[in-house]
Amino acid sequence: MNNAQQTARVGLFFLLGIALIWVTFETLSGGKVFQDKGYQLIAGFESLKELKEGDEVRMAGVKIGEVLHTRLAGRHAEAVLRIGSQFRVKNDATATIVMAGLIGTNYIGIDLGSRDAPDLVAGAEIRTKNTPDINSVMSEIGQLSQKLEGALGNLGTALGDDPNKPGIIQKIDTLLTENREKIGGTLANIQQITDKVNKGEGTLGRLVSDPKLHDELVSTIEEIKRSATEAKTMIASAQAIVDQVKTGQGPVGTLIYDQKAGDDLKTTIANLRSVSDKIARGEGTLGKLLNDDTMLRDTQAIIKKVDRTLDGLDDTGPISAVGAVANGLF
Amino acid sequence: MSESTHTTNPFSAVQTPAVGVKIQHLSKSFGTVEVLKDVSFEVQPGEIFVLMGPSGSGKSVLLKHIVGLELPTSGQVLVDGKDAAAEETREQVRMALVFQAGALFNSLSVYDNLALYPREHRVGKESEIREKVMRALQILSLDNAAAKFPSELSGGMRKRVAIARALVMEPQLMLYDEPTSELDPVMSATIAEIIATLKEEYHVTSIVVSHDRDLTLAIGERVGILMGGKLLFLGNGAELRAPKDPKIADFLSPKIDVKNPRFRQLET
Amino acid sequence: MKPFVRVLEGVGSTVQLMVRAAYFLPTLPRQFGRFIDQCYLIGYTTLPIVAILSFFIGSVLALQAGYAAQNLGPKQFIGLLVGLSMARELAPVMVAVLLAGRVGSAIAAELASMKVYQEIDALETMNIPPVRMLVMPRLVAVVVMMPVLTIIADLVGWFGGAIVAKYTDFIAIEPASYFATMRQYMDFGDVMNGLVKAEAFGFVVVLVCCNIGLNTRGGPREIGAAVTRAVVTSLIIILVLDYFVTKALS
Repeated sequence: MNNAQQTARVGLFFLLGIALIWVTFETLSGGKVFQDKGYQLIAGFESLKELKEGDEVRMAGVKIGEVLHTRLAGRHAEAVLRIGSQFRVKNDATATIVMAGLIGTNYIGIDLGSRDAPDLVAGAEIRTKNTPDINSVMSEIGQLSQKLEGALGNLGTALGDDPNKPGIIQKIDTLLTENREKIGGTLANIQQITDKVNKGEGTLGRLVSDPKLHDELVSTIEEIKRSATEAKTMIASAQAIVDQVKTGQGPVGTLIYDQKAGDDLKTTIANLRSVSDKIARGEGTLGKLLNDDTMLRDTQAIIKKVDRTLDGLDDTGPISAVGAVANGLF
Repeated sequence: MSESTHTTNPFSAVQTPAVGVKIQHLSKSFGTVEVLKDVSFEVQPGEIFVLMGPSGSGKSVLLKHIVGLELPTSGQVLVDGKDAAAEETREQVRMALVFQAGALFNSLSVYDNLALYPREHRVGKESEIREKVMRALQILSLDNAAAKFPSELSGGMRKRVAIARALVMEPQLMLYDEPTSELDPVMSATIAEIIATLKEEYHVTSIVVSHDRDLTLAIGERVGILMGGKLLFLGNGAELRAPKDPKIADFLSPKIDVKNPRFRQLET
Repeated sequence: MKPFVRVLEGVGSTVQLMVRAAYFLPTLPRQFGRFIDQCYLIGYTTLPIVAILSFFIGSVLALQAGYAAQNLGPKQFIGLLVGLSMARELAPVMVAVLLAGRVGSAIAAELASMKVYQEIDALETMNIPPVRMLVMPRLVAVVVMMPVLTIIADLVGWFGGAIVAKYTDFIAIEPASYFATMRQYMDFGDVMNGLVKAEAFGFVVVLVCCNIGLNTRGGPREIGAAVTRAVVTSLIIILVLDYFVTKALS
């Protein structure tokens, strides 16, 4: 092989190598050299989390630029974004750090903003919103479950877990035991009442025989039905609220986070306790209860609800217990 | 200006002053081994000086000092009045060493071997270099060997190529390291004739390291004998024929005594 | 103690050689022919073995990653794995190892034999510094050729991995998704990292092999010893240097 040929081969080989490096460069970095520099926006965040230089900036999912560099600015972190010059960012658009995957790839998502708002100019600061990252969500859920446990513990004491401090159930129990004769009498009275009803005497008797009263009763029952349906929807929305509580959102969430709300709950439970105490003491009221039909019905309904509540409390999970409590209370 | 003090360039007929070599109290040690012990002598411009001595007496080491391949432990070697150890001397005085084994570049053809020096030193255009190389090959009757590679050459041809390569350097001082070793008597004679011819025709100062007695007696104008690192003899050919020192006499014409072999005798 | 001193000697003479070679760099135009020869030797003739080796390294990487990812799910990340491993680590190291074995040994053998047969001495007496003629062109050639060899190793390795990823039953991912992860998560910095590493390895391998060759002493038997020493030293240096260069670049 002669000299010139060898030189040519080496030259060709070298050029091939340069070309390959160039192609790789173009492919992997999208040819940054030829790309326009675009313009820069500054986005301040409490924490940039996993965001790093070179991460994408997307608007409505479309890549419009990248994170040029990251820096600390006083008490917060700043990311300098390079936005392609063909893209416009409205000045009311909000930037958030979005996690694209669990392995720690992030991008900055910018929403479209409103149609009429003016565009941001180069170097301007974009509005930002701090979003909880997965770690803070996790730790908040932990705190939430602790608070729930505390609340349920209070409820448990109120309902009579402590033998020295008689709870509401025990009190009702005592109430029933102490007034067995009276209740017996009541039942006898009820018997009498039913007899009277059968015979068409008294209010119920008249109700049964009187068509006008019957119609009223029917409408009343329908109303009750309607309320039951409403109650169902309420329970469903309560379920939704509980779900929100789980994710730490909504007013109930705040209620449970909020110290004041917790205190309110405690007060409520204390009130419940004093009410039960009054029931235990309230002979006169009880007599009234036994003589008055409506009061009796109310009492029965309350006992039923408490019963359901207790059934619900048998379930172990705190969250489902909350569900049961909600069910029972609504 | 007499002819003998000027070296004639074999290519351009330009005459340059012949160079002399002065060795002053040269000592050299490799580790603890003392190879040269206080050696002093002088080589006159334009003469053939033969340095003799048994194997391992330090002849080749002395030669390497002259071309600056080895640096003296003490003492000095002056070539044309300049320190041989200094890098510049090699640029100012053109010296050519003909190595014992030729030291031809095995990867290059004979032609390229000869052309290497002028090419590297940019002494002329490629056509001028070609002319010069062919002339050197002609001088040594190597015209047909130009395209051959060193591995294809016989021992005698290698030595001649080595001499031709030295000649291309247009040397003022030629150094030959064992030019006739490993050669048959006829080839040895040829080499001796070449050395003498180069000296006769171009008046190149020549230092020949050899233990070839015939060569020494035939072409050596002055002779030094190095034994055990010391210069034991310094004189002309005539003096060498009648040595006073028995050691030198024995070295020049050793008697083979089977009854009392030399290797059984204690070194004195 | 003695081996330690010898290592220091080696380091010292290598650094000296580098400085001398740098000093002769301006004479490159005069050594252009030799430079081209060495480029041819280091680059062009080493290419086939580099291509074969990196193809199979890429294939094996994809195969092993596929085997590991069988029960894991995100198989398209095999592309990223092969891409990164080839670019950042395997291509430069393998090219350097091949260079040491193929070119380094040849350099050590050539220079050692030149030294043993006094050709180096002859150059000295001809006032031609051996470093200028024998070392400098080789160093420049390796610096020019290393990136070329490495980028080819990268690309061949990637494509080898892609082919295996497509045609292996238990992997079976399309080249499109294989390369998509590579393009998404790799940038040119990763490739550049590998090229810089390869450059450092190639330079040091050639320098060390030249130094060992030039410092050979003794008879022809030493030529073989010099070659062995050159290759072993090169391999050790490649791996040690790999650690430090990787650390420095990260």
